[in-house]
Amino acid sequence: MKRGFWIAYVLLLLAQLLMSNYFHVTPYIFLTILPVMVLCIPIRVGTAGAMFIACASGLVVDFLSEGVLGLNALALIPVAFARHGIIGLIFGPELFARKEDFSVGRCGFGKVAVSIFLALLIFLVIYIWADGAGTRPLWFNGLRLAASLVASFVVSLLTLGVLAPDPRK
Amino acid sequence: MRGRGILHRIVNLVIFIVLEIAMLHLVTNSADLQRIWVARASHAFMGTVWGATESVRNYFTLSAENKKLAQENEKLQQQLAQARHRLRQARIDTTRTDTHPGYTLTPAEVVKISRNKQHNYLILNRGFEDGIQEKSGIVTTHGVVGIIDAVSEHHAFALSLQNHDISISARIGEEGGSGILVWDGIHSNGALLKEIPLQYHYQPGDTVYTSGHSLLFPPDIPLGVAGDSRVINGATNEITVTLFQDFSSVRYVTVVHNDSFDEIEGFKE
Repeated sequence: MKRGFWIAYVLLLLAQLLMSNYFHVTPYIFLTILPVMVLCIPIRVGTAGAMFIACASGLVVDFLSEGVLGLNALALIPVAFARHGIIGLIFGPELFARKEDFSVGRCGFGKVAVSIFLALLIFLVIYIWADGAGTRPLWFNGLRLAASLVASFVVSLLTLGVLAPDPRK
Repeated sequence: MRGRGILHRIVNLVIFIVLEIAMLHLVTNSADLQRIWVARASHAFMGTVWGATESVRNYFTLSAENKKLAQENEKLQQQLAQARHRLRQARIDTTRTDTHPGYTLTPAEVVKISRNKQHNYLILNRGFEDGIQEKSGIVTTHGVVGIIDAVSEHHAFALSLQNHDISISARIGEEGGSGILVWDGIHSNGALLKEIPLQYHYQPGDTVYTSGHSLLFPPDIPLGVAGDSRVINGATNEITVTLFQDFSSVRYVTVVHNDSFDEIEGFKE
């Protein structure tokens, strides 16, 4: 189990709350680090456990920020559901066999980046689709998805040092 | 070992579905936009999927329906001929030929109807793309069928007259008292005309019409025949009504919308 992971998780949840409340630069960018947080939950925690943690995390952000109650949780639970699939697909089954968590030092930056991208894509597609509730045109949703994906990807990479530190350091 | 893995995946899938449904429920309860979105999706699903099954059922009753339409057509032709005859005799010059002036009429077909609940509904194959608006009445040549409650692009969701949430303003006889007509909750063609003042006399067998006091329905649409009555709290009569409308065979309807609805509703605000 990664040392201090859960403390880092709670602190990053607080950081997400601050971003949700104060980062309102443009309607095209929705900044989130929740998918990378769920993706980095230690591998020993099973899919069901990760889904409950994702549900609770999403609800905390929804409840304490200006969002629609349930919206972040609705989009985050599928990330937790697909977490093992994404890790198995990108990093191979060895991680599960050794019960090791992934990190940039162990698995390489490229693979970690792709896994974060997939998790963000799942989250943002559902979030933007449900947030628009069929009232926004496709071009707006597409543009919002692309801009949010780029911005959230960059911010998510910055959290990697805390969520998935290199164990050899 | 393999069996346990599959069981594990099924449990995860069930937890996933339960959590997602719970979150969707939370989302729809906390925001109007999302509630309407989910309701529209639900209506579209009901209209498409259940409407398809209804179409199959309708196909097998086409023969009876055609016969009924032919009879109705014949009756209308007779009425038209009589009306033309009367018009010629009275030498009336008129340009008004619409049946319900001040109302927009849109023909529609029922794609889904529920009949065995206490809160029955129906779905029509016309939506806002066809000019259908909420708070419009639904009528047939046999009377009132219901009221439009929600409208999507190509479908309209309506509360049936066989629904406890619906009451319509009705009048007994040509110039009798007005009251509120509600479904009796028991019979498919049974209704109760409530709050008729005692000073208005009527005979069992008198026809009950729409009063025109509500904004939803034009006046003088025959609804049914009055039956027995009883006095409520010594103040008003409650009259049983046998409706002309047979809800088990309703398929083609007309949506009526008061052209002045928004203007009159504006006075209330």
